[in-house]
Amino acid sequence: MKEKKTNKTISIIVCLALLMGLWEFIAFYLDKMLKDPMAVKKLPYLHSVIAKIFTDFDSLFSAVMFTFTKALQGFAIGSVIGICIAIFMSFHKSLEKMILPYMIVLQMIPILALAPIVYTVVKDSGMSRTVLAAFITFFPVAVNMYQGLRSVDNDKKDIMRILAARRITVYTKLMFPFSRQYLFTGLKLAAPSAVTAAVLVEMMGSSEGIGFKILSSLYYGATGAINFWASVVMASLMGISTYLLVVLIEKLTTPGVITLKTFKRRRGAENEQS
Amino acid sequence: MTYLNAKGEPTEALKNVSFNIDKGDFISLVGPSGCGKSTMLRIICDLLQPTKGEVIISGYTPREERLSHSFGMVFQSAVLFDWRTVRKNICLPLELQKMSKKEQKKRSDEVLELVGLTDYADHYPYQLSGGMQQRVGIARALALDPPILLMDEPFSALDEFTREKLNDDILRIWRQTHKTVIFITHNIQEAVYLSDKVAVFSPHPGRLSAMVDITLPRPRRKEMRYTPECNALVEHIRGCFEGV
Repeated sequence: MKEKKTNKTISIIVCLALLMGLWEFIAFYLDKMLKDPMAVKKLPYLHSVIAKIFTDFDSLFSAVMFTFTKALQGFAIGSVIGICIAIFMSFHKSLEKMILPYMIVLQMIPILALAPIVYTVVKDSGMSRTVLAAFITFFPVAVNMYQGLRSVDNDKKDIMRILAARRITVYTKLMFPFSRQYLFTGLKLAAPSAVTAAVLVEMMGSSEGIGFKILSSLYYGATGAINFWASVVMASLMGISTYLLVVLIEKLTTPGVITLKTFKRRRGAENEQS
Repeated sequence: MTYLNAKGEPTEALKNVSFNIDKGDFISLVGPSGCGKSTMLRIICDLLQPTKGEVIISGYTPREERLSHSFGMVFQSAVLFDWRTVRKNICLPLELQKMSKKEQKKRSDEVLELVGLTDYADHYPYQLSGGMQQRVGIARALALDPPILLMDEPFSALDEFTREKLNDDILRIWRQTHKTVIFITHNIQEAVYLSDKVAVFSPHPGRLSAMVDITLPRPRRKEMRYTPECNALVEHIRGCFEGV
């Protein structure tokens, strides 16, 4: 088990190193072999991008955090809305038939078209970031959560019925714990999209955030290119970290999977058996 | 009893079924699939309502009995809640009764001991074998100490050895707790070995074709499975099927 994990870590590191090497090589090829005068604009050296991230870390980090908090707010609001819609739809089949088609239509509106509309309505760029992040989030969360609520097998429901459980108890003791996994699938899908939505709003007119940094760096020739890549790398890291954050929360709240207490207890039980 | 099938057509599941079960009896319902055994069980515990006819349990309707927690149910699969430990699974009925934590612990200890799983209280269902999972299912059904235990092919997914072991365990539990057990199986020998009475069902539409008294002495012991008396009863019940 432990060996497997180490192997996995090694393969990830090797793959990452290869990709970084490839980037470095292409940049070198453009710059030194092709003698392309636009080389820096096309693909700057990775090491100079990383150096840039370190020298400009403070301003990049504060920009990231600004966007991140807005995206996270939107993500939280969207998740709650999505969960509520899923629960509502689970009450009766006819409610699903009524609501689901509209949700799908809403999902088909290009977010790019929606951003200016939201901006005109709320008249605040911070707020419209949150709104759009929420808008992107609610759909995958609602659909996955609903799928989970519907997947509860009838035998389990019968057990609750024989115990004369009230409807609310059926939800708290059976439906919610059962749909947990499904909910987290939805959250994992939604988390990076919420960040993307927030970045997108910034690119459409804003004076703060990582999206603004990406856009503005495009106006300044060679130094701008390195700035641009540094911002893009930071924005990607932000997307990845939101995903990892959800994964972490999932692990921490999974019963009997990660908590140290059960881990130790389980290890003890295994030793006894063998 | 008729109900709508998947196509929305009414299907006759049970017709003219009438029998009595004495308190404290172990009764088995046997029959080929589709003969309405499970339907019968579901009507008894109010998961289904009959279109005609009635079930009376010591003077009360199935609904009244369900609401007063008179039934413990065990399905073919254990139907455990994967996110709960063995103990927490057994505590589910107790939690619904708003029992205090201390009482829950006490009661779950008792039931765990009854099914022989005291050492596995903190395990999760996925860490247990099929037979052990089914024991947890039985323990959960017994948690509220209901007078009636309903078992819907509880051992049919288990291997022969585990099944025979659990047969003896369920007999012991029945003896210790004085429950009325209604047990569904399609294994005639199992039915004979366990029961006081075997109700033989036949299909299309489901009806009761014979009620056989099992005269084997109690307590039952492993060797009895292969005695001539036991074989004769198995043959007799098998004959009931061929007669229809």
